[in-house]
Order: sequence, then C-alpha cells, then structure tokens
Amino acid sequence: MRQVFLSGLFLAALMVPLLGGAQEGFPLDGTWRGTWQDQSGTEHMVVMVMAWDGRSITGIINPGRNAVPIDRAELALENWFITIEATDKDGKPITAQGILKNIGAYNREVMGTWTIAGESFPFRMVRE
Amino acid sequence: MEYIKNRNTLRRAMVLVAAIVSVACTEAAQEAVAEESAAVSSRQAPRYDDGTIVFDYQAGEQGYWGRPSTSSLVEAGVEVEFNEDGLLADINDALNVAPFMPWSLALYKYRQANGLKDDPVKACISPAGPRHIHDKGGFRIIQDRNYERIYIVFGGGNMNWRVIYMDGREPPNPEEVTGTYYGHSTGHWEGDTLVVNSSGFIDRFWFSNGGLPHTRALELEERFTRSDYDTLEYEVTIDDPHTYTRPWKSEWTLEWIDGEIQEHFCEDHRQE
Repeated sequence: MRQVFLSGLFLAALMVPLLGGAQEGFPLDGTWRGTWQDQSGTEHMVVMVMAWDGRSITGIINPGRNAVPIDRAELALENWFITIEATDKDGKPITAQGILKNIGAYNREVMGTWTIAGESFPFRMVRE
Repeated sequence: MEYIKNRNTLRRAMVLVAAIVSVACTEAAQEAVAEESAAVSSRQAPRYDDGTIVFDYQAGEQGYWGRPSTSSLVEAGVEVEFNEDGLLADINDALNVAPFMPWSLALYKYRQANGLKDDPVKACISPAGPRHIHDKGGFRIIQDRNYERIYIVFGGGNMNWRVIYMDGREPPNPEEVTGTYYGHSTGHWEGDTLVVNSSGFIDRFWFSNGGLPHTRALELEERFTRSDYDTLEYEVTIDDPHTYTRPWKSEWTLEWIDGEIQEHFCEDHRQE
C-alpha cells in the first residue's frame, strides 16, 4: 500500500511540471491549487492540471493515486466563466464552476462553487 | 518720367533674373539632394569574399539595426493604428490584427482594454520572439562562420542574445524539448535571404508589445534580407495552431544606425 502511495506521489511530481508551467498562453493552462469547504467547515484540497490542445481543455484533478480525468471543461469568453466536470473515484459527479479573475496575473484565480453529488460548496483555486 | 519708366523696367528685369536664378538654384539643390539620397540608398549590402551577405558591421565601422518601420506586430497588408507601445487606437480593430481563435481574440482584447498593464516585460521578462526585432534598443546580427552559428544580440529587454544554428542540424522535436524564451533556431540561406525556423518556445512572454497570445505550439519562420547597406527587411510567419486559425505573416523594415548599442538594464516598474 505504501509502495502504491509513493508511486502515486512520484507520478504526480512528474505530471505537474510536465503539464504545468504555462503563464501567458491559454488562460487555464497550468497547475491550479485550491480548496472547497464542506458544511462542517472542513477544507478539501484540490489540485488541477489543465492544458489546451487547440480544440479542447483536457486535464486531471488531484494527480496521484486519487487522480480523476476532467470529463469536460469550458471557458465562456464573454465573462470568463469556467465549468469543469469530472467523476470522482466513487462515481459521484463533480462540477466546479466559477469566474476566472486577474487573468493577466501570474497567480490568477477561480472563485465559485464545487458541486459534488448534487450538493454545492464554496470553492477557490489559484494557478501556481 | 522716362527715368521712372527705365527704373521700373530695370526693376522688372532684376526680379526676372532673381526668379530665374532662384529656380535654377532650387532645381540644383533638389538635384543634389536626389543624387545624395540615391548615393545613400545605392550603397550595396556588404559581402564576405564568398559573396555571403554581411549583416553586422565590418572592421573600422560601427552600427546596429533599429528604428523599425512599424510599432507593433500586425498581419501583413492590414492597416490599423497603434501607439508606440502597441496599444490600438481603436479596440474594434483587434479582430483585424491577426487570424485569432475566439479565446486568443478575447485575451488580446482583454490585454488591450486594460492598457497592457500585465505585460511581462514590465517585470523584466524577456520580450523574445519577433517582439525583440521591434524593440527600441535595436540589435546586431553577428555571423560566426567558424562555428556555423549566428548570434542576434539585443539592445533592449535584458540585452539577451539568441543563437541560430547554421550547421545543417535537424531541429529537435518541439514536443521533446524544454521550452525556452527564444526556442531552438536553425537557419539556412535562400539566395541573399537568411531564413530561420524556430520552435520549442515557452509561453511566459508576449511575442508582441500589443499582447498577442501564443502557446507552446508556436513555430516561427523569419526571413532577414539586407536589401541594401542601410535596410534590413524582416518577415515573420507565425504558426500556432492552438492560438490562430491559420499561419500568418507580418513584415517591417529596419534601418542601419551608425553607432553602438547603448547599455541598458531592465528595471521592474510594476510598483510605480
């Protein structure tokens, strides 16, 4: 089990610089780190790695042993509103939505909601 | 009365002579200027013994390339008005600057609308790409024929340089290299034109002062032609299928400036 965990960490460490590092190109490209907070006040860490391939936004959520692929991601250009859909390891649907702020800044951010299995919670992530 | 008549006749004659002399002098002056400018523009580009064009100064000379004929990058043949920082006079012209994808047009307009305040150059990030060829600091093109390389030394930004390999090597697969500000450049000659192909860029810089976006898929073909002693013609084809709907071209000329590139150090002005 420990070996699987360490392998996951190693893969995550490899993936982050591989897919991340972008700054001035497609606004969602890169590695994002943030949290969503459940009703008890517990913060759940989220890491997202996204990349634009010229046609669609691809990526993963929480690289490592709990990684899940992004099923669909959209950026509405008129208001910089993003929608990211995925399915967690337990099969629950996840939707992260929010407004992209400080687009020109190195550490731009997304603030919005994290919806999992029909319940919505406050969510924020910042690009690294 | 006769005296007055003669005096008037004499005055008219003098005016006529003066006019003829004036016209003759003006024509002579115009011819002299025309001959002088013809002499300047007819100075041919210098060459090495084997006929290769020399882009830099030769022994006993000094000089560099600068004073670009345009102030920002725009698709060839498109007329839009920029200020010297690349800011559009009319934001509605943004659509015409390049064949944008929807996201890159939105980002370009966002950067323009906020007065280019997020320009990485303000944080001393290198201009890189064709933007350096627009930089006020100018540049030199130094041909190292022993090692079959060409160096472009920039006066603006951080006084960086880039290397163009002329030894016939194959460019690396851009998917397999770590991106850099200047990418990997290989060059060859097509007649008197130096043709440079570059790929392997990062996207941490703006490749135009106006904020044109790009991704790591960017590839450039640059063509440098020293058409006469004082003129460098520059043409760049931008191919970034993740950002633009098709490859597109921009072009401008630069002047040979007598003198040395001035010392310049970038300072971070973001807090001012």
